[in-house]
Amino acid sequence: MNKQDVLKLSSMPLQSPTYPVGPYKFFERQYMIINYRTDPAMIRQMLPEPLEPDGDVVSVQWLDLPDGEGFGAYSAVAQAIPCTLGGERCTFLTQMYVDNCPPLAGGREIWGYPMKYGIAKLDTVGDTLTGVLTYAGQTVASGTMVYKHGSPTDPAAIEALLKRTQVTLKLIPDIDGSPAIAQLVGTTFADVVVKGAWTGRARVELIDSVNCPLADLPVLEHTGGLHLVTDMTLPYGRVLHDYLG
Amino acid sequence: MTPEDILKLPSMPAAAPSYPLGPYRFINREFMIVTYETDPVALRAAVPEPLEPNADNLVLYEWIRMPDSSGFGDYTESGIVIPCTYQGEPINYTAQMYLDDEPPISAGREIWGFPKKYALPKLVVASDTLTGTLSYAGQTVAMGTMAYKWQESPGGCEAQAKSMTNTSCNLKIIPDVDGSPKICQLVAYNLEDVTVKGSWVSPARLQLIPHVNAPVADLPILRIVGGKHFISDLTLPHGRVLFDYIKDAAG
Repeated sequence: MNKQDVLKLSSMPLQSPTYPVGPYKFFERQYMIINYRTDPAMIRQMLPEPLEPDGDVVSVQWLDLPDGEGFGAYSAVAQAIPCTLGGERCTFLTQMYVDNCPPLAGGREIWGYPMKYGIAKLDTVGDTLTGVLTYAGQTVASGTMVYKHGSPTDPAAIEALLKRTQVTLKLIPDIDGSPAIAQLVGTTFADVVVKGAWTGRARVELIDSVNCPLADLPVLEHTGGLHLVTDMTLPYGRVLHDYLG
Repeated sequence: MTPEDILKLPSMPAAAPSYPLGPYRFINREFMIVTYETDPVALRAAVPEPLEPNADNLVLYEWIRMPDSSGFGDYTESGIVIPCTYQGEPINYTAQMYLDDEPPISAGREIWGFPKKYALPKLVVASDTLTGTLSYAGQTVAMGTMAYKWQESPGGCEAQAKSMTNTSCNLKIIPDVDGSPKICQLVAYNLEDVTVKGSWVSPARLQLIPHVNAPVADLPILRIVGGKHFISDLTLPHGRVLFDYIKDAAG
């Protein structure tokens, strides 16, 4: 392959790039978001400066992604911390677990999504919307929510939540082990269509695990669940802060 | 978390880094390598300039069992290595790799540009046959077989250890957050502190099945040269940039 074509590759490997060029459109993207109050000192410890905490209610989210352009069908779990940057309300993603290599590699390499390999499941089991996360053979999180009990009082607030800037800490080493990229990246979903939104009671259990430490943000009080079905587009992002100057 | 703490992190996520800082030590790393001759046109297409494929058109198809790897754990890998030259010097180019463990996938891609994807390789002794298989997205895409410890390899453990410190390289590609190329380099590394505990050669066979996302069969098998099986301890250190495509394009 000649040098000009090498520069046009979307990703490694040369013979079969792991992910294509973006943006990436998702159809029937389903969320179960379980909100809970946690320890503010732990939030402060996990938020990279210059992000500032925005309250003490965080969330663990299960995502079912049956149709993602370039990525296929997969599931994910994310832990999200509300924060502010320069006064703007944002969401910092602190941990993510997915069961599919292209979004894992693309997520880390393009946006710095904090993704590791874990097996997430989001299913409707009898009367219960049920999320489970398995890491290295052990169940490390389980979440449950009542099924389509309530409607959001303010539908516009749901769309605003999905369009809120997501912030990730992108770290890529150089070949000598020194940092090559150390940035806060901002990403804003486009073409958001909310096809369904429900509220209701929810519970989450987080189990201590060293390589999947969701339980480092302890559950002090459950504050409710949100169940969403959406179509949306993941575009490229922008650098919000560069730690290398 | 302060900027000083952030710059000391070895990897994402900050809350539980996927991999620690290197170097990475491997104990009892077991290799099965089937060497075969392929089509020169397909080989040229698979090798990025300025690397040059060798005139003998040989390809190494590998399975590697790694039961004890610092920072990474216990996993198995399978893939394709192409012997090449860079500025006239011999170098092994890694073209495809498939493995069943996330930290070495992420570290491999992000530090050295190893062309790694998630799949399920196996290397086992099945009765009288050393057997490698590779399953990608639920489909078998490769099967290699070797007669078990048939004959000690020429030159024994010492010659094998020496050959393993030869230079290897990868094509490292990392996009910028806007989708443009941020890193596009040929990177080189040399294994260190290599001890070989056993090394054998034998007849071998290899079957490769076409698959779009694990295209091991894109380099077709014209002739099997033979198989090699060896067990080693070794260290994978950081590396160096051989060639930078972004700087080269900028003149």
